[in-house]
Order: sequence, then C-alpha cells, then structure tokens
Amino acid sequence: MKHPLLKLEPLIWLLFGQGILLGTILLTPWVLVVGLGVPLGIVPAEALSYERAIALASHIVGRLILLGLIVLPLWKGVHHMRHSFIDFGGAERDALVAPLLYLLATIGSVLALVAVVRI
Amino acid sequence: MSRNAHPHAMAPSKPGRTRTAPPQLPDRFPFGGRYLAYTLFDLTGILYLLLGLLVLCAVWSLGSGEASWNAVLERHRNIFYLGFHAIALAGLIFVGIRFFGFFPKAQPPRVGPLKPPPKGAILVGLYALWIGVTVCLSIVLAGGVFQ
Amino acid sequence: MSDGQQKKTFVITRFDPDRDDAPRKQAYEIPVHPDWKVLDALNFIKDEIDATLSHRWSCRMAVCGSCGMMVDGEPRLTCKEALDQYGDTVDVAPLANFPVVRDLVIEADGFMEKLTSVKPWIIRAKELAVEEGPMRQSPGELEEFKQFSMCINCMLCYSACPVVANEPEFIGPAAIALGHRYSLDSRDEGAAERNEVFRGEGTVFSCSFANECSEVCPKHVDPAAAVNQAKLNAAIDWATSLVLSRGGSK
Repeated sequence: MKHPLLKLEPLIWLLFGQGILLGTILLTPWVLVVGLGVPLGIVPAEALSYERAIALASHIVGRLILLGLIVLPLWKGVHHMRHSFIDFGGAERDALVAPLLYLLATIGSVLALVAVVRI
Repeated sequence: MSRNAHPHAMAPSKPGRTRTAPPQLPDRFPFGGRYLAYTLFDLTGILYLLLGLLVLCAVWSLGSGEASWNAVLERHRNIFYLGFHAIALAGLIFVGIRFFGFFPKAQPPRVGPLKPPPKGAILVGLYALWIGVTVCLSIVLAGGVFQ
Repeated sequence: MSDGQQKKTFVITRFDPDRDDAPRKQAYEIPVHPDWKVLDALNFIKDEIDATLSHRWSCRMAVCGSCGMMVDGEPRLTCKEALDQYGDTVDVAPLANFPVVRDLVIEADGFMEKLTSVKPWIIRAKELAVEEGPMRQSPGELEEFKQFSMCINCMLCYSACPVVANEPEFIGPAAIALGHRYSLDSRDEGAAERNEVFRGEGTVFSCSFANECSEVCPKHVDPAAAVNQAKLNAAIDWATSLVLSRGGSK
C-alpha cells in the first residue's frame, strides 16, 4: 500500500500479531471476571475491592499484565479496523485513515504506560 | 449480483491493446459464504479497541482513587456494559479459535537454524496456554488467591 | 442427442469491447452428458451454438491453469469441475478481480508482472563453477518448499482474495508463495532481496489472512500459509536489519 507508514509495517504487524495472540489470551479472564462475573454477582464483589485491586495492580507482574491488557488489544483492534475499512472500499483513503488509527493506538499505549505507573 | 472491485485491481502497468471491462468483486464478498467469517473476524477489531479503551479507563480510575474505582465497578453493572462484554466474550472465543487454527501453518519450516515444533504440538500448546492463563488469571481476579 | 438427455442452462457473461458498453449475460440451454465437466459444456456451446464465445482452456486435466472462471460465484478450473454437482442453471463468469478482455477471458499481464517482481529464480551470491559439481539437496530440504512449488498459475487465488480486490499494488497469493518457495530453497541465497520486495509497495503485510486463496487452490499449495510465513520472515529480516548493517538472513 502506498501509505506513509509502509516502512513500519513489519513493526505494526508484530504488535498486531501479539495483540491477537496474547491480547485474546489475557482479555478472556478479564472479560469473564471483571466484565461479567463480578457485575452479575457470580464472583463476590470483594474480589475487586479497591484495596485488593490496588494490591494486585501495584505488583510489577500486575502492572505488566494490565499494560498488556490495554496495549495489545489496541493494536489488534486498529489494525483490523483498518483492514475492514479497506475491505469495504476505503483503499483510496488508507493513506489518511491508517496513520490516524495507528496514532490512536500509539496515544492509547502511552496513556496505558502512564496509567499503570501512576497506580 | 456483480459489483466493481477497485478499478485498477490486477491491472497491468501498461494498458492492453483493447478496452477491458472493469474487474468485479467475488459474488459472495463480503457477507456471503466463507467470507462472512472473515469479515466478522476483521470487524472484531472494533470489539478489541473498545475493550482496550475500557481497560485503560478502569486502570486510570484505579490510579485516581477509591471513589473513581467504585464508579467503574458500578458502570460495569449497567446492562449495556454487560451486553457488550457478553458479545466481546463471544468475539474473543471466535477470534481465538480461528486464529489458533491458522497459527501452526503460518510458522516457516525454518528460521535460521530453528525449526518449529510439529503443527499438532503448536495447536495443543496454544490452547493449553489460553485455558491455563484464563483459569489462573480468573482465579486471581476472582479472589481465589492473594486475598 | 436423444430427447431424454438431461439439459442444463448456462448463463454466461459476454463482453465484446467493440460492441458492448458493459458485460451482459447470455443464456444457453444445452443437452449435457452425465460425465461432462463445465469446460465440456463451454466447448459444446462454442462448437455447436455460438462460435463467438471466447474462453481459455488447454490441458483438460487441471495442470495448465488456463481455464479458471467463476462458476456459480466460485473461482474454479472448469476442466476439473464435474457438471453433475451443479443445478439446472449454471452461472459462468470471468475470474473476479481481473479486468476482462472479452467474454470469459481476463487480462493476465498484471499477474505476470507480480510474478516476476518476486524474482522467482535461484539467486546465488556467486555461481558454482562446473568443476564444483551439482548443488546437492536432501529430501528434507526439498520438503521445506515443495508444496509451494506446485502452483500452476491458474489465478483462482487472486479471484478469491479480498485484498487483491481492493489493493491494486498487493503482490498477491501465488506470487508471494512462489517467492517464498525460492527463499525456502536451500540452494537459494536471495531471501534478503525478496524480503525487500515483500516489504515494498506490494507489501505482504496487506494480507489479512482471509484464507480464501487456500480454500480455492486446486493444487493444495496453501498460499495463505506461504504468505503468512513470508510475513514472519520479512519481519525478522526487518528487525535484524535495524540492528545489523544488512539483514541477518541468507
């Protein structure tokens, strides 16, 4: 594709690849517990009390997992959204849309780093 | 019903000697036959983006104090959040099954001196990782350990 | 032909650039034999009913790759597909994603350009002298690329690929598979050169793993496997070229 980020395609693909692989693996328990288990009352609410959440998230492993839980899905998400856009006839505007989507993922990744550090 | 593909799809660098009719999309693209699974697969990108942003908001709120965190937990009890996460779970399983199915054949027979494991072993390993991490992380998140 | 013979109707896309503004459909009802392939019906129509029908074919045994067309919306080799799997009406159209020269004949020059762009030949830094004897290759080394050498250039994969439909620069399944075949060949030393092509404007990373190419391939080449293996190799080559002065792969 003739777009300004052609030279970065391998990096984007590597990030996207991990986004699918590790992102899917990490997101599954998050969605099961945080997205459904606790809100539906299947999992006791104390499991995600503020004190416990802070304790888990402050650990270096916790921070890394949370970082992965944000960054990896972002890159998988925007890359596939770009492909969907092209599939539906948007190839001529890819030079504009692709950089915008990847910028969104970059900003999200930077905010993710800030978010896990400030806990 | 035929629809036009990109006007320059498969066009040669120099035009031929006679006028050509424009290239047509495959009939069933994008929602018919096997293309449906592929199109849905790419559309899960929206789910992943939203999930990533939701986790970002949750982590940011955690760093902003107890009231902020409790507000996140309260929001997750909203019916729209629950519906989204149910759809997201289906999307995650769909993506995992489709991607893991393709993963073994996407490994080159050799990278330098390294050969990948047999395809069957790769597939078993991927599902073992997925199930193992899901079980372990779910137990941690749900308070089964590290109370 | 006896009156009891089965008949089928073939709805065929026709296009004469000298007469037609746009492609149109024309229906032919013909008697068919139970053991016919789709190509036999097309040849019957051309020989007995309408000599103006234009279509490509040659070997009649699925090795030359000439007779690819859309049959009931799927890219198929018409010499390979038995008629009895189809209903009473069969739609035959030129391969999707290609400009159409006339009737069922598509413009193939674009495909030829993509094929040559991947340098589909053994590249050596220095050719062996005759006195050094032949290059030896073990059965194990052959197995690493043999599957990808079975392509007959029938272009069905290009017709099925949604990326080919939307991104004209994309090198495409068969060409990438062929380039990858050479990069995997133990006799070849050109992987770095091909990786530059794979990371160029026709970038392999445009592939979104629809896997349709492999679904329609009549020779079980599995081009989707080749393309996605090529992505990993190109990414590794890119990463090592960041660190080293020239990429680490051979």
